[in-house]
Amino acid sequence: MSRRRIRSILLKEWTLLFTDLNSAFLITLVPFLIVGQGILYIWLAAKFAGGSMLTTQVFQTALQKLVVAIPGVAQLPANEQLLVLLLSQFNFFLLLIPTMIAISVATFSIVEEKLSGSLEALLATPVKTWELLLGKALAGAIPALVVTWLSAGVFLVVVSELGWGHLTGFVVTAGWFLTLFLLTPAVAVLSFMLGVTGSSRAKDARSAQNTVLVIILPVLALIGIQITGIIWFTPSLILVLALVIGIADFITLRTAVRLFRRESIVVQWR
Amino acid sequence: MDDVTLAVESGEVLGFLGPNGAGKTTTIRMLAGMIAPTKGYAIVAGHRTDRDIEQLHEVVGMLTQTPGLYDRLSARRNLEYFASFYPSIEPQSQVAKYLKIMGLWERRDSKVGTLSKGMKQRLALARALVHEPKVLFLDEPTAGLDPEAAGEVRRLIRTLREEGRTIFLSTHNLSEAEVVCSRIAVIHTRLLALDTPEQLRRRFFRRQIIVQLEALDAQVMEIVKRLPFVQDVREEGSQLILELTDSERNRPELVKAIVEAGGRVIGVSEKQYPLEDVYLKLIREEGQNES
Repeated sequence: MSRRRIRSILLKEWTLLFTDLNSAFLITLVPFLIVGQGILYIWLAAKFAGGSMLTTQVFQTALQKLVVAIPGVAQLPANEQLLVLLLSQFNFFLLLIPTMIAISVATFSIVEEKLSGSLEALLATPVKTWELLLGKALAGAIPALVVTWLSAGVFLVVVSELGWGHLTGFVVTAGWFLTLFLLTPAVAVLSFMLGVTGSSRAKDARSAQNTVLVIILPVLALIGIQITGIIWFTPSLILVLALVIGIADFITLRTAVRLFRRESIVVQWR
Repeated sequence: MDDVTLAVESGEVLGFLGPNGAGKTTTIRMLAGMIAPTKGYAIVAGHRTDRDIEQLHEVVGMLTQTPGLYDRLSARRNLEYFASFYPSIEPQSQVAKYLKIMGLWERRDSKVGTLSKGMKQRLALARALVHEPKVLFLDEPTAGLDPEAAGEVRRLIRTLREEGRTIFLSTHNLSEAEVVCSRIAVIHTRLLALDTPEQLRRRFFRRQIIVQLEALDAQVMEIVKRLPFVQDVREEGSQLILELTDSERNRPELVKAIVEAGGRVIGVSEKQYPLEDVYLKLIREEGQNES
């Protein structure tokens, strides 16, 4: 029964999501903004700073760790080493897509239903709190995940078009796939779960948005940690990270269910 | 709410009357298992409201004060969505059934945002019924509707009553309660009265017989006053208003006496006190008790 209910919530949420121009526009636009920005920064860095950037202590440390992880990089000229270093950050950069979409979509999900009164009617049905919250989180996380994967494809196409295609072999590694297919889903679910939780507790979407900001900072930190050479995320480290976030997803769902106060929603929102 | 104890039979329509803040909606929500009382419990369709919440939600239907529908979804999709949460039904056939019953079949594919207020309310009623609940809670179902739409909703509630559904109806509309409900509970944070509209009237007002005469003369009045079963009599134009010892049995004798005294009787009826008088009396008494 739970599967039928969650599927039903998913289909309803998707119908509402894609009939709302703002949300549909956002889901389409955010990935292009993120991919476009990332490539622009890399292109600017390669064109104007070039290999000279690598002389800085920060990049030297990062490059040493990159060479340990992918020894073939050592054979490349300095400017291409820089490109590989920058392009390798892109898989973490893509994590921003689901988090950005979650800020706008998930945070409205419960607040909107509180305001329209549909949540009270929903709470009179046998639907369980966890089914409702998980359904709502997945309804946002799945499209966000799909556009993230599409963005990764677009990124590789643009990289080839810019004449860097011969470097993709150093970028698209086991770590790249683990990030895309394990870490990104875990982060997407976490972002949407936090958004839905915030939405269930907040009086308006704006205050709910603050809860998702919590996830953006660690994502930015991941990029910062790797590009400054503090830690180089090897496939095994990415796997561990994905597992930890997967556990966090589960804990967040359980916490969200506990925090979801049916009574106060029914009584306070009329 | 404080110390509310009541029993409602299957197939009964119980009306909740009370001023704003009296606890009508709170009581309905507690009975529907949506909020928990601080103390006590109820058994609704065999399920306890304090522990069998999921089973309870499967057998009760709730019409909330606001329709609470999704404006961007069609009428049919709205119903299918809510119907999908109930394990015991086949959503599509049930949705079709209730769209037809509520007269919304022709508008099944219209976005709810384009429907009139009355149509939305009928759709919300269909949502409350789509899983064939044993007990139905209707929270001010006609509030904010125009007379025509309100009349349509009332007609539907009467149909449900004829089908033998058990219904709890919270309303401010006394005439609606009188027409629709078999018993009425007047509440004001506690249960003030619970009875049929007729019994409530009798409790607060003595039965009075109205005899409509062609013309009222002193001789008729004199004869009537002398009748042993007449406890009180007063005149209002060409009418006599009487209180009798036994208003059923004494009525033929009364008419006979009036006719023999030369009076020409046009009609005999019982004075109907509006339910509003009963309600106001109860609420005022409660107010005096409180002060």
